Amino acid sequence: MRAWRTAVAVSVLSVALAGCGSGDTPGTSSGQSAAPAGPWTFTDGSGQVVKADKTPTRIIAHAGEAAALMSFGIKPVGIYADESVKTDPNLKNLDLTGIEILGEEWGKIDVEKAASLRPDLIVADWWPAEKAHSGLEEGVDEKSKKLAELAPVAGATQGKSILELANGYETLAKSLGAKVDDPKFAANKTRFDASVATFKQAVAAKPGLTVLAMSPADDKIYVANPEYAPELLDLQSFGLKVMNPDSPDKAFPYWENLSWENSDKYQPDLILWDGRAFKPDSNAEWGKKQPTWFKIKAAKENAVVAWPAYWMHTYGDFATELDKLTTAVKSANENIGS
Amino acid sequence: MTVTTIAPRRAAALVPGLAVLGAVLAVVAFLSVTQGSRDIGLSEVLRALGGLGDDGSTNSTVTLELRVPRTLLGILVGAALGVAGAVLQGVTRNPLADAGIMGVNSGAAVFVVFAITVLGVRGAGVYVWFAFAGAIAALVLVYAVASLGREGATPIKLALAGAAVTAGLGSMTTGIVMTNVDALNELRFWQVGSLAGRYAPILTGVAPFLIAGLVASLAFGRSLNGLALGEDVARGLGQRVGLTRAAAFGVVAVLAGASTAACGPIVFVGLVVPHVARFLCGPDYRWILPYSMLLAPIVLLVADVVGRLVVTPDELQVGVVLGLLGAPVFVGIVRFGRMSEA
Amino acid sequence: MTTTAVALRATRRSRSLRSVTVTAALAAAAFALFVFTMMAGSMRLTAGEVIGSVLYLRDDPSVDFVVRGLRLPTAATACAVGLALGASGTIFQQLLRNPLASPDFVGITWGASLAAVTGIVVLQVGGLAVSGLALGGALLAAILMYLLAWRDGVSGYRFILIGIGVAVFFEGLIGYMLTRAHLFEARQAMHWMTGSVGQANGDELRLLVLALIVLLPLAMLLQRQLRALELGDDAARALGTRTEASRAALLAVAVTLVALAVAAAGPIVFVALVAGPIANRLLGPAGGGIPAAALAGAVLMLTADLVAVHLMPTPLPTGVVTGAVGAPYLLWLLATTNRQGAGG
Repeated sequence: MRAWRTAVAVSVLSVALAGCGSGDTPGTSSGQSAAPAGPWTFTDGSGQVVKADKTPTRIIAHAGEAAALMSFGIKPVGIYADESVKTDPNLKNLDLTGIEILGEEWGKIDVEKAASLRPDLIVADWWPAEKAHSGLEEGVDEKSKKLAELAPVAGATQGKSILELANGYETLAKSLGAKVDDPKFAANKTRFDASVATFKQAVAAKPGLTVLAMSPADDKIYVANPEYAPELLDLQSFGLKVMNPDSPDKAFPYWENLSWENSDKYQPDLILWDGRAFKPDSNAEWGKKQPTWFKIKAAKENAVVAWPAYWMHTYGDFATELDKLTTAVKSANENIGS
Repeated sequence: MTVTTIAPRRAAALVPGLAVLGAVLAVVAFLSVTQGSRDIGLSEVLRALGGLGDDGSTNSTVTLELRVPRTLLGILVGAALGVAGAVLQGVTRNPLADAGIMGVNSGAAVFVVFAITVLGVRGAGVYVWFAFAGAIAALVLVYAVASLGREGATPIKLALAGAAVTAGLGSMTTGIVMTNVDALNELRFWQVGSLAGRYAPILTGVAPFLIAGLVASLAFGRSLNGLALGEDVARGLGQRVGLTRAAAFGVVAVLAGASTAACGPIVFVGLVVPHVARFLCGPDYRWILPYSMLLAPIVLLVADVVGRLVVTPDELQVGVVLGLLGAPVFVGIVRFGRMSEA
Repeated sequence: MTTTAVALRATRRSRSLRSVTVTAALAAAAFALFVFTMMAGSMRLTAGEVIGSVLYLRDDPSVDFVVRGLRLPTAATACAVGLALGASGTIFQQLLRNPLASPDFVGITWGASLAAVTGIVVLQVGGLAVSGLALGGALLAAILMYLLAWRDGVSGYRFILIGIGVAVFFEGLIGYMLTRAHLFEARQAMHWMTGSVGQANGDELRLLVLALIVLLPLAMLLQRQLRALELGDDAARALGTRTEASRAALLAVAVTLVALAVAAAGPIVFVALVAGPIANRLLGPAGGGIPAAALAGAVLMLTADLVAVHLMPTPLPTGVVTGAVGAPYLLWLLATTNRQGAGG
């Protein structure tokens, strides 16, 4: 029933990371140039080994997963997304010509159309908390779940790290015959490594800098809990001090809810603003709308930057977003909040 | 609530009663300004109020720009809902008449959604006007349908017409919203009444309507008393029943529409408070109306303060607190109340 | 004497003939819609292919996947939910002697819905647990209402008023649940609130079908008593029927049916309200038959689902269509029936 697929990432409370797709080397395909004949195997995020007699070529993928495969030159025959493919941050800049769109709303996949594509593999993230793949969770249309009957389902594990997700899809792409070391594909990873290095450098230069991920709304302010946001966990692992809210909502621990009276409870030096709602003039707009928004000193100083919340799947996207964050970190004043 | 004789308690007892209620309201309003999910010392609140200027501290901003407008809005909306309920119950001679039950919320919601999706309108300040129009449209529709037929708008016909209009408009709203995520997100906070997040601009937007409606409503006491005796008697007393009804309905539409527009659906205040008022001062609408006008904001502000305090640093919507409180009372009125089965 | 008896017998025979004809016609219509629903979609199929596949007469994997895997469960849900709603609606209406009394208007549907939405948003459960909650919520709401409305017997009038109060209360709480939920969850909960036949899983459907097999005949057996009740309490008491007991039994059947229907498809409004009157209009003087009302419900549900899924620009929940069509009907009913005193 995880309907907030793009809205919030799901916890990976105590899943052993060793078993995830990322670390695996596929059975027979490594290093081969053309699509290998098979048999094909891949260790899914769930730990299950997915097998096929020959290497899949007709792939149906969920939005972000499709973007990940396409970044390695593998074009799926069909895509299902949770929102319009024109607005999905993973897909909006990709050329989707020739790909069937099988769904643009969470929980709704046109399985009849999917069947007519005769897929031999479904690629979707594995969500450990609900023990299901993207689009096949509890709460979707019963019909949508039948997608899994068309072909084996495989994907990397969600929830703990974007890096791990990107790694997982690199491995999967490789097993499907992509030449992931080809310079034109590997460039993204190289770029990502460089971005991480400059990001770490920028962060190290500001040891006192604290950031807070937030999403202001009409009735209250939501403060993100990094424990449940893979990219925030990654940023923390790169040295950025993303603040952990001290009393997340018990029923919904992805956020701590602050009433507008308590907007200044945390005083970060830089605000990571939920990218799904962020526009260049958002800060000024909220300052005008809510008298206490500017009581957060960082907001008053306009120290805000978009936070790529809960969607990234590829090295390329992560690198692009990291570069933006690096710029923000570099120009940030580490003493605003104190 | 068929009343055979009007036996008003003596004004000597009722006037001081009003004064007491006024004092209670003042106390509650003071609480509403001093208590909240943020802990602000009394001295700081007083300093902010006394200086009447924002000295830039968060505490003073919260006091002056959040709590004071919120309290004023609560008082006005509460009074409006209470009086609207009393007038509605009087004019329909129906103890269960309530703006919420009569479809006001669904009307407001569908107009807001229409504004978002079809007209591309954004921003709470603009929604107010659409909610306003929608509330009035729904109210008029419900009353019109319920009054068709010989016996006029009986309790059950009003309730059913309200339910039908709510369901029909609700379907339209859902149909639009299911295909438009933006609309859903904007609409969610119309589903439940809240005083949070909507303060000064909304206060200035709806206050003129609310104040005008409140003042106008006080003029209805005598004619509602006449109607309570039955249409024929009222006519015999020289009242123009049709005119009274139309005017009363217009006032209710303005009061309920503006309240819903400002705070979203806040149910049950309008239903319950007039009954309490009637219990306190007898069946004379000349007293019921002012009593409702003071009692309702007390109830609303208390519910709001409670909602602010129970889940700090978060807040609970006032509509929820009232819903939990009001439904048992509604059911109790039906279950135990003396109601003509007409 | 004898001529009256003969005339009476003749009337009775013509009534039962009409009853059988109408019921059969409704069954045929429901069957035709049932098959047609399974023909429409991205992959167009013929009636022969559909029937062949459902009855395992052919072996075409791609057709079988589409028909048996995808379309049959939805069509069966629509049909079963329609039957259950139609039957329970007409029982409520006859029991409370009011054409406006249907489970969606006396709070039961919303009790189920509130329990389900709470399960989704707060407890974060899914599947049969949601059905269980819905069932519990409906039964609780019904019991609550029965207790509240019981005063010198169940007055139909008071029952409906309390039901509406309870419904408004539940809806308020559902609204609160929706603001608690985050966006996409709210979307799902909203879907659930409106009712859609695409959400039922196998377990819920099996449970509903099983209940129909057991409860529909039971309801028909109880109908004899229901008929007695329709003569009015005094007459029924004279016939020796323990009115309160049989009312409670019938109410229990109707509530169980509607609860399981809500568990399978969410709160679909108006089908229960209109199925009975439509069947009665067709039946004429032989009105009141539960099978006819149930079949009318199935026809309505299948039609609404066809419209919602295939005629709208984007597929909508079935409840949106029934609500948009049913509300004007109810208003019309309100405006016209009060002359006979039934509206108030």
